[in-house]
Amino acid sequence: MAERDLIQQLDAAVNAIVAGRAKDVRPVDPDVDAMVAIAGDLRDLPDPLFKASLKWKVVPRVRHTIAPHFRVRGVADYIPFLEAAFGGVEEFRAPRPDGLIAHAEVRIGDSIVEMGDAAGAVGPIAFGIHLYVDNVDELYARALKAGATALYPIVDQPYGDREGSVKDPFGNHWYIASPVRAGFRTVTPFLHPRGAERMLQFLTAAFGARTVEEPDKAPDGTIAHAAMRIGDSLIEMGEAHGEWQPMEGGIHLYVDDCDAVYRSAVAAGATTIYEPFDAPYGERSAYVIDPFGNHWYIGTPK
Amino acid sequence: MDERLLIEAAQGDPSRFGELYEQNFGRVYAFIARRVRTRQEAQDITSEVFQRALANLKRFEWRGSPFAAWLYRMASNAIADHYRQESREISWQQPEITDDEIVSAERRDLLARSVDRLPAEQRRVILMRFIEEQSIREIAEQMGKSEGAIKQLQWRAMQNLRAQMKNG
Repeated sequence: MAERDLIQQLDAAVNAIVAGRAKDVRPVDPDVDAMVAIAGDLRDLPDPLFKASLKWKVVPRVRHTIAPHFRVRGVADYIPFLEAAFGGVEEFRAPRPDGLIAHAEVRIGDSIVEMGDAAGAVGPIAFGIHLYVDNVDELYARALKAGATALYPIVDQPYGDREGSVKDPFGNHWYIASPVRAGFRTVTPFLHPRGAERMLQFLTAAFGARTVEEPDKAPDGTIAHAAMRIGDSLIEMGEAHGEWQPMEGGIHLYVDDCDAVYRSAVAAGATTIYEPFDAPYGERSAYVIDPFGNHWYIGTPK
Repeated sequence: MDERLLIEAAQGDPSRFGELYEQNFGRVYAFIARRVRTRQEAQDITSEVFQRALANLKRFEWRGSPFAAWLYRMASNAIADHYRQESREISWQQPEITDDEIVSAERRDLLARSVDRLPAEQRRVILMRFIEEQSIREIAEQMGKSEGAIKQLQWRAMQNLRAQMKNG
C-alpha cells in the first residue's frame, strides 16, 4: 500500500481513538495496526505542564537569596552540559508548548542555578560564575571534556586558591577554584562591572548588600576583588579589565518583600522591565536591569 | 543513583524528593489513568499520591521491594478513596493490583519518555493531538504548515515511537 494511504489510515484511526471510538478502528495494514496500539496508549499520555506544575507544588525547593539565572539558546542542551561538566542534577523544568523551556533549575553542589530559553526578542545573556570545588583539576578536565573551552589554565594563585577558567558552549564563564572557602557555596555569581566602586554602592542601596571583607585594590586604585553578602548569599566582582569585560549577568533574587526591594532598586537607579505582579507560578515577581546592565528577577515565593 | 540512596537522601532532605518524583511520576500516572474515567481525575489523584508519598516518606522502610510498589499501593488506595467519596458508599470494593496492570503502566511510562525524545516538531504534534485533542486542521493553523505536512509529522512520530518501543 502506498505510504500516502497508510498515513490516511493512521490519521483516521487516531481520530477515532481521540474521540473515544477505538472500537470503530478497522485495521487494514499490519504496520498501521502496530501504530494504532501505540496511539491507544497515547490516550494516557500525561500533560508535561501538569507534570512540571505538580513537581513545583510538591517538591520543596532549595531557596537561597541569590540564584544565578542563565538565559541561553537551547536549555534542553545546556542541562546535559551542566550535568556532564559540573555534576549538575536537574531539579525542575517547565516546558513551553513549542518545545522550548520556560524555566529550569539545576543543582550544582549545594547551590541551585536557574535558566530559561532565549527566544524571539529575548536574547541570550552570558555571565561569570565562581565555582568552589574540592577537586579543581578534575572538574576543569571534566568541563573541557564536556565541551567547554579553556579561558586560562589551572594556576596556584598568590592568594592561596588553585584555579582555572573555562567558557561553556553557551558563552558563560566558569572560574573553578579550590579549596572551598569558608562562607562560600559551590556557586557564586562573579561580575566584572565598569565602575565596581559604584556597583558596590548600588548593591548596598538597592538590596542591602554588605561587604564581607575589605575589597582588594588594584595598583590603579580600582577594585580587584570584592565579595558582598545579600541575605544568605554572596556575590563577587572585580573591575572590568583586559579580557574580563562586563557581561550581562542574570540573578534571581529571593526576598521577603518583592515590592519593597523593587522600590529600593529603582530608587538606587535600576530600570524597570516589569513592576511587581502575582506570577502564575506562585511568586510575587518584578524584573529590573541595574545601571551596569545586569538583570535582576526579584521574587517572593507565595 | 541507587534507589535506596535516593530514598535515604529524600528522607533526610525533602528537597531531594525531585529525583524520586522524576523516576516514578510516569508509571504512577499511567497506573491511575487506566483506573479512572477522565484526565482530570487522573491528575487529581496523581497529585494526591505524590503529596501523600512525600508526607509519609519517613515511614518508608527499605525491605528490598521497589519504591514503585509502595507508590502503586498508595495510588490504589487514593483511587479507592476517590470513588468512595464520590459514591458515598463504604462498601466500594478496591480491586487488587494485577501484574498486567503493572506491565501496562511501565509500558506507557516508557512510551511517554519516548515521546520526550522525539524531534521537537513531531513531539509537538503528538502532544497537540493526544493531550489537547486538536484536529489536524487546528494544528496545521497553529504551526503554519499544511494539513498534509502535519499528517506526515504524525506518521513519522508514530514510526519513531514504534521503533523506540521495540528497542526499549
